[in-house]
Amino acid sequence: MSYTFNWSVLWTGQAGGWLLDGLITTIEISFLAWWLAVVLGIGSGAMRTAPMAPLRWAAAAYVEFFRNVPLLVWMFFWYFAVPPLLPDTVREWLFDHGAEFWAALCALGVYHGARFSEVIRAGIQAIPKTQFEAAVSTGLTVTQAYRLIILPIALRLIIPPATNESLNLLKNSSVALTIGVAELTFQTRQIETYTAKAFEALAAGTVIYLLLCLTIATLMARVERRFAIPGMIAQGAVGEN
Amino acid sequence: MERIALVLSLIISFAGAYSVQAETTLVKIDKSGTLVIGTRTGSPPFAYVNKNNEWVGFSIDLVEKAILPVLNKKLNKQIKLEKKESAPATRIPLLTSNAVDLIAETMTDTQSRRDSVDFSITFFATGAQFLVKKGSPIKGIQTIAGKRVAAQQGSTNARIIRERAPSAKLLEFPDQPAAFQALTQGQVQAYTNDGIQLAGLKAKAPKPEEWAVVGEFFSYEPYGMALRKGDSDFRQIVNVGLMDAIESGKYFEIYDKWFGAKGEVPYPLASETKRFLQMQVVPK
Repeated sequence: MSYTFNWSVLWTGQAGGWLLDGLITTIEISFLAWWLAVVLGIGSGAMRTAPMAPLRWAAAAYVEFFRNVPLLVWMFFWYFAVPPLLPDTVREWLFDHGAEFWAALCALGVYHGARFSEVIRAGIQAIPKTQFEAAVSTGLTVTQAYRLIILPIALRLIIPPATNESLNLLKNSSVALTIGVAELTFQTRQIETYTAKAFEALAAGTVIYLLLCLTIATLMARVERRFAIPGMIAQGAVGEN
Repeated sequence: MERIALVLSLIISFAGAYSVQAETTLVKIDKSGTLVIGTRTGSPPFAYVNKNNEWVGFSIDLVEKAILPVLNKKLNKQIKLEKKESAPATRIPLLTSNAVDLIAETMTDTQSRRDSVDFSITFFATGAQFLVKKGSPIKGIQTIAGKRVAAQQGSTNARIIRERAPSAKLLEFPDQPAAFQALTQGQVQAYTNDGIQLAGLKAKAPKPEEWAVVGEFFSYEPYGMALRKGDSDFRQIVNVGLMDAIESGKYFEIYDKWFGAKGEVPYPLASETKRFLQMQVVPK
């Protein structure tokens, strides 16, 4: 009644190729969804602090709607509920060109955009109000003040929580397997199907996710050091220079 | 590197915990008074949740009416039945980690699976086909080249499609409802699974007449109940339960309840399948 481990299933047969395919899909979808999330997040995060009420309401509605519904539901929403709204030809074209990938991309990007938005807002609100007032008093418009003064500072302040969000996004990409995207977790299950060796496959997946996340965390730590604002207390915590 | 080494050693020690010789399934059941089975909620009529919100099905009935009585007799007490949800990707881990004692659903007995688990005698035999919209140009595995085809992840059928029709665009879903939804909406043009399951899905669809199960069987899918490897005492009880039921005719009563003319999914038992089931019964 014991489970016999057979790690060789990971390098014999097609398992290695599948893991690589899965890894590539995971990186592709996470990378594209990350850009979508960052763009949406910066836009709506800035809007939430803007001195114009309708902008704040619109951004708050986006954030609360998208972050408070489970990601799994969003996957099904973009895959099953959105295509019927499209014209027939567009829909057929999409179905023939990996609709599940694009649906998962939208689900991940829009969901994490709402979460990024809060991170950005926190960054902006950490900046003293006087800085904004000083910017405007030099003759900058509100948009210019945000673009040239507020956002560049906020983006540098939020690197640690943004790293957190990015790692979450990467790991959440595994939810895409529910709509048939052949990403990393999907491929570990695939290996299980062919070899009936579930623990080995899962362990391989775990190690790959871990290495991927550690790499991202290390890169982000470098970015943080490189762009730290001189004179801020955070600099000491990060290390010399 | 240190961190990686730490994690690897953690995983290995976690793995080691499972290779410890544990008590036999019979001792475990005797102690807890419960037989825990892993089964499904969305595979009518083998194991599903019906309109009255009851978790029932052909496979569950076989456990309750054929295997449980033999188990009760052997342990000389009333054993309770507990059901847990299992899916193709989780059923072997559930079994090997002792979370369940028996997988009773729609699991195909295969040689590679026999490396990890043991199987009972075959309690049902079917083969893979396709479910399509009525009037679809797809007529079987020869006509799916270039088409979008859904399969259930972890199933033997997906594997065969990949090998025999590599140009088909295969999309794998973790469960049957998602795959059927994709077929309904046109994300895929056909859904492949074991013929009997497709018949079940068709019968349960809002408009059964809109769907057709097509194609010759392109695989052989003998269903068995999976149990932990090397536990022959428990396997003997499961097998005796199934053999007694086939011999006494109880199996065919249960079959009729689910697959007879008035059953959930009318699917007459082919005479060769019946003969095959009977020939598995060894003399007492």
